[in-house]
Amino acid sequence: MTDIEIIERLKRDLGPEALEVTNPDRRRIFLKVDPGDLVAAVTLLRDKYDCAYLATISGLDKGETFEILYHFASPAANINVRTEVPKASPHIDSITAVIPGAILYERELQDMFGLVVDRIPDPRPLVVPDDWPAGNFPLRKDWKFERPPEIIPGGKS
Amino acid sequence: MKFQIPIGPQHPALKEPISLRMTVEGEVIQDADIRLGYNHRGLEKLAEEKTWIQNIYLTERICGICSHSHATCFVQGAEKLMEIVPPKRGLYIRYLVSELERVHSHLLWLGVAGHEAGFDSFFMYTWRDREIVMDLLELISGNRVHYAMNTLGGVRRDIDEGQKAKILEGVAALRKRSEYYFHIGANEPSFVARIAGVGLLTKEQAVSLCAVGPTARASGITRDVRKDDPCAVYDEMDFEVGTADSCDVLGRVVVRVKELLESYKIIEQILHKLSPGDIVVKAPRKAKPNEVVSRYEAPRGENMHYIKSNGTDKPERLKVRAPTLANYPATVAMLKSGFIADIPLIFAAIDPCICCAERTVSLVNARNGEETTVRLSDLRRRAIEQHKNAPPKRNAVWPF
Repeated sequence: MTDIEIIERLKRDLGPEALEVTNPDRRRIFLKVDPGDLVAAVTLLRDKYDCAYLATISGLDKGETFEILYHFASPAANINVRTEVPKASPHIDSITAVIPGAILYERELQDMFGLVVDRIPDPRPLVVPDDWPAGNFPLRKDWKFERPPEIIPGGKS
Repeated sequence: MKFQIPIGPQHPALKEPISLRMTVEGEVIQDADIRLGYNHRGLEKLAEEKTWIQNIYLTERICGICSHSHATCFVQGAEKLMEIVPPKRGLYIRYLVSELERVHSHLLWLGVAGHEAGFDSFFMYTWRDREIVMDLLELISGNRVHYAMNTLGGVRRDIDEGQKAKILEGVAALRKRSEYYFHIGANEPSFVARIAGVGLLTKEQAVSLCAVGPTARASGITRDVRKDDPCAVYDEMDFEVGTADSCDVLGRVVVRVKELLESYKIIEQILHKLSPGDIVVKAPRKAKPNEVVSRYEAPRGENMHYIKSNGTDKPERLKVRAPTLANYPATVAMLKSGFIADIPLIFAAIDPCICCAERTVSLVNARNGEETTVRLSDLRRRAIEQHKNAPPKRNAVWPF
């Protein structure tokens, strides 16, 4: 299946749900959907486009919104599903019911961007330490690292 | 009675800090839980503050074994963003180093697998032969670990006729050795019996848990970025994707030996196609606002970088997905309903020596702390009773 055929099929199958389909390079397809249609779109990709393999999930801080990219890969093409959620209420549905292998990427997304993944089976932190202060999300653009002052126990203050 | 056994984050047998919490019943693992983050370096955040050139050296330091993989994956993407095409000779040299790196990584892994299975001569043989390819890499780049061959628009060092002859000589020697390992594996019953049927991962599990690389290929999935999404020179090469259907550690050994032999083929083809010319083109300092998904087949599986540029000399976002992260959910599935003795083999880097600590004749009842001394024959009878329902271990079948 060539890229053009895949795009035609995607437009036909998804109809108005596909907000934007682009093909910037050979075997690279970017598809934009509403956050509400995400799980349906992912299910369709898995069942009809041989995209059971989720390579990863990338988050992106765009100022007012978060962009989330789900990078799928089939032998024919690399299909990237893009969706945007507002920073004020960063809620996104979990796709682990469709793709069980997505769990670690969704947990990483919660740690790094402070997104809330609804219906995630295991919401524990994955990469941040246990004593990480709440409300610190390192990959947000407005987060800056400040080294805490060193305290020597029993030493001079 | 269920016990939880923590392994790590710091453990004498662990090469890297990771925490595994095993829930065991008897010697059978019921559940495994993985906690990451003990070595998180905040590299994605750091990359946003570095220039394109600095980021090549940063990404090269993500891994100490497949250092070239991450740098190549990043450079591939950055070149797309800058709209430059490296000259053919530069590309050939870049992917020649990639294949040499795959050879050294797979030889290293084979040695570790042999060591964990208790076959230490195999470990010593493969690591001795690995020196051949390490010397070749040093000959080409001047370094054994961080080759620093990549730059935007090509590679930094050319290779001459003398080096070419040395590489061909080294590859011929390595091929002979690898075929010998093939022979040893097929005719060494104790090695095969130890690794066959251990760490089962069915094809359905591998698909649903998004496994990558030799782990997925050993479960019968033909997924290789070099074939599916050939970047640069791979579409000119004649090679096959090595797979196995046994879905266990034996299959993973087989896949890696097959890949070694395919890599030698690719190296020879690259050297024969190498034509004179430039090795690098000049790259611009900035990249136009755009985004790119760069995929690369590292020795452990698919490596993926998502890079977004914003018109400056620094990337807006660099997302790195290393193959090991993709294989963790599959590892948990492999560990489940395995034996404690198989943890080191399945996890390859872990040697927890739990069995040594659990030799006892004085039993303490965990519920009320009551201590009873039992006879050995009685203990044996209890053990047989306890392990009646243990998962059956498959008989060894060598897949050739």
